[in-house]
Amino acid sequence: MQLFKTPHIPFLKYKYIALGASVLIVAAGIVNVMAGRGLKPGVDFGGGTLLRVKFKAPMEAGEIRRVLKDAGLDNSVIQETGSKDGREFQVRTAQTVKTADEQQEMEAHERLADRIIEALRSAAGEAAPLPDRSDLNTMGARALTSLLAVAYPERAEDLAQKIVALRTQTGIFANFEAVKAAGVGDDVVRYLEGKTSLGSLTVLSRETVGPQVGKDLRNKATKATIWALIGMLVYIAVRFKLAYGVAAIFTLAQDVLISLSLYSFTNRELNLPIIAAVLTIVGYSINDTIVIFDRVRENQKILRREPLESIMNTSLNQTLSRTLITSGTVFLTLLALYLFGGEVINDFAFIMLIGTIEGIYSTVFMSCPVVLFWYKLFAPKKGLKK
Amino acid sequence: MKKNLQWKVVLTLAVVVGAILLAYPYTQKKIKLGLDLKGGIHLAVQVLTDDALNIETDQEIARFQELLKKNDVAFQSITRERPGRFVMTGYDSDKEGKIREIMDDYARDWDYSFGGERAVFSLKQPAVIFLRDQAVTQTVETIRNRIDQYGVAEPLIQRQGSERIIVELPGIDDPDRVKDLIKVTAVLEWKLVKAGPAPDEATLLQATGGQVPEDAEVVKGDPKRGHSGYYLLSKVATVTGGDLRTVRRSQDEWNNPAVAFTLNSEGGARFEKTTGENIGKQIAIVLDGRVQSAPVVNARIDRNQGGIIEGGFSLEEADDLVVVLKAGALPAGIRYLEDRTIGPSLGADSVRQGIMAGLVAIVAVMAFMIFFYKLSGVNAVLALILNVVILFGALAYFKATLTLPGIAGVILSVGMAVDANVLIFERIKEELALGKSVINSIVQGFSRAFSAIFDSNLTTIISAVFLFQFGTGPIKGYAVTLIIGLVANMFTAVFVSHLIFDLTVRKTAKRLSV
Repeated sequence: MQLFKTPHIPFLKYKYIALGASVLIVAAGIVNVMAGRGLKPGVDFGGGTLLRVKFKAPMEAGEIRRVLKDAGLDNSVIQETGSKDGREFQVRTAQTVKTADEQQEMEAHERLADRIIEALRSAAGEAAPLPDRSDLNTMGARALTSLLAVAYPERAEDLAQKIVALRTQTGIFANFEAVKAAGVGDDVVRYLEGKTSLGSLTVLSRETVGPQVGKDLRNKATKATIWALIGMLVYIAVRFKLAYGVAAIFTLAQDVLISLSLYSFTNRELNLPIIAAVLTIVGYSINDTIVIFDRVRENQKILRREPLESIMNTSLNQTLSRTLITSGTVFLTLLALYLFGGEVINDFAFIMLIGTIEGIYSTVFMSCPVVLFWYKLFAPKKGLKK
Repeated sequence: MKKNLQWKVVLTLAVVVGAILLAYPYTQKKIKLGLDLKGGIHLAVQVLTDDALNIETDQEIARFQELLKKNDVAFQSITRERPGRFVMTGYDSDKEGKIREIMDDYARDWDYSFGGERAVFSLKQPAVIFLRDQAVTQTVETIRNRIDQYGVAEPLIQRQGSERIIVELPGIDDPDRVKDLIKVTAVLEWKLVKAGPAPDEATLLQATGGQVPEDAEVVKGDPKRGHSGYYLLSKVATVTGGDLRTVRRSQDEWNNPAVAFTLNSEGGARFEKTTGENIGKQIAIVLDGRVQSAPVVNARIDRNQGGIIEGGFSLEEADDLVVVLKAGALPAGIRYLEDRTIGPSLGADSVRQGIMAGLVAIVAVMAFMIFFYKLSGVNAVLALILNVVILFGALAYFKATLTLPGIAGVILSVGMAVDANVLIFERIKEELALGKSVINSIVQGFSRAFSAIFDSNLTTIISAVFLFQFGTGPIKGYAVTLIIGLVANMFTAVFVSHLIFDLTVRKTAKRLSV
């Protein structure tokens, strides 16, 4: 089976259009970032807190915003996550709490997160947790065991484990009826009903990175990027002739710039996994470039009389189907990750998807023209006339 | 079967069986799940080593004052200027020689200089370094003791650089409690109450004319214990946490949770003497500078009798106090620099979603390969399955930690793994189109595509290696799975896939399903 018969698309004719498009995208991206709208540093780099909470009962995002605003926390970004049933939300605190002392800044972030959790609890209609009752939705297995041990000394640990295991699966108990699914017996549930309360929300995750560690992580990300690019350059230098090496570097730079530019137009933040994704895109996208350059080299031996430009065009057309298929399989897996992989990995899958498509574009439209430009600039005039 | 095919088959089977044995049956012990999948706490802790220097400086000042008194050297004041440095003023400059003598005899770790009315004493650099280092080492030990006392499976407590400690605690379902347990300094002191409790400082100090007496200090009550007032306490502690011999959870007379303690002989003797002399007065129990309770001394307490600490504790609070008192106080305060808490249910969700995405991805890729390359596609699918098996076997072998980005790495490497097959099959098609025989096309296809496959995997591995080098936990997991997946890919897509062709395609075959 074939994707299509070897086509005859004059790819190199479009080189100026492609170049123009690339410049336009990157310029727009840079303007966007300069304007402070894109590539906002995420928790990993910028400091601040990312909270994920799950409510007992569905909530309106608008209502949550209103409550946070009333509490003076309106800089926070609220987003519904999970299965979109109005119960899971992600709250990103105001990005900066600037204080003179870096260590105080971290504590300020933590306090801010505490206040947000408080506000969210009140938004869910919970005035104050019952003072003498533990919250069954947040208490640990250990505390639950000692509570149960009063009535069920023999089975306390086993019962607590079962209940906590069920809570781990469901995230939160909506009511005591739901606790019965743990298979602990109705009498135990009734006992708990008398001794505990069900808090209106549970904190699924809470990540705060202070300015010092944020700085460290920025440093590490920069180092990883620089070293990976150096590694790639060394590899390219060994692998290619100069002109092709320059072209490979050019496509590599374009991969980074265009992926990030496009990413900057989304509301998504810049975190460590995004850096990992960009570096993977670079490592992966160069593969197709290699396949094409290999083919050009091979064709140069076979089609000696043809000018380089037409050899390149032939090579691009010959390798087009495999470029599309190889990127296609990767695209397929990333699509699965994007659709089913969950919120936490979603940004990563998203930029990888962009990068995979962009990789095809940069390989097909940008790699060969750069070689031609280079030869035009530096080759002896005689060679050109021929 | 040809001889060299035989050893190829044996090698392949050995790898397959080996990988399966390593990875199966799947248990948590074999492939460790990272904190992001299992739930848990990751903390970066800064040790405030200045605290340790302050304690040393204060002790030195006290010792120095005593020596000055003994040697009849008068002075106006001695104050700590900053950690590891104190200043004396208002001394008689004739006594400089005497002061030098005292310092040289008793305080060799201190430098001193005299400038008219001011004498400056500073801790020597090696001592500063030693004290700071010791504070961090002791903090690591104390945190480890507390975590062990509390009981956490597989904790990681590691010093990082000069003043940082990384604490990773997997599978925690009560993160707030554990974080408090780590952070509390746990300096416990028994101090005599001179006045109080009073609603504010002014009322408290009315009796003493608004001044804090030299031998006393103002300490607030702990609101958590239901004490919001101010106390005037004697500066010197009767006994401290260091004098404790045993602590355990107990009950007060109303059956409320409390902590029972006994004292070592030295502390017990002091406690006996002090309580004997102060019957009818209050003695405050101070934890980290907050009064927990201030019971009235009813009778002299025998040195072996011990006592209880009460303060309206919950069961958990009493348990935790026992843990921190047993493990001892931190030598210096700590602060969190990074605090990532992932609840177990979010981790479980991530695992579920990761498996789902992985299955969809793998099925989609397999379906595509079989649809597009027919029987050769089946060959690629076999290679792909083997690739995943080897990947998990290798993860188990290297005791690597599987993280959520790691799962993404597995899924991504599935998509990249068939790239090699695609390059080979496309090449075979071209060779066939040129009219070469099936067997020849296969050989040519593999050998010509090899350099491109090698290159492609290598470039991606280059990125992954540096991600591993500079990445944090989850990203490291991603880099590891990607690297292993791509290396395994060289074996499965090139070696095994070729072998399958060798075994299934007859020498005389006229057609190839590709």
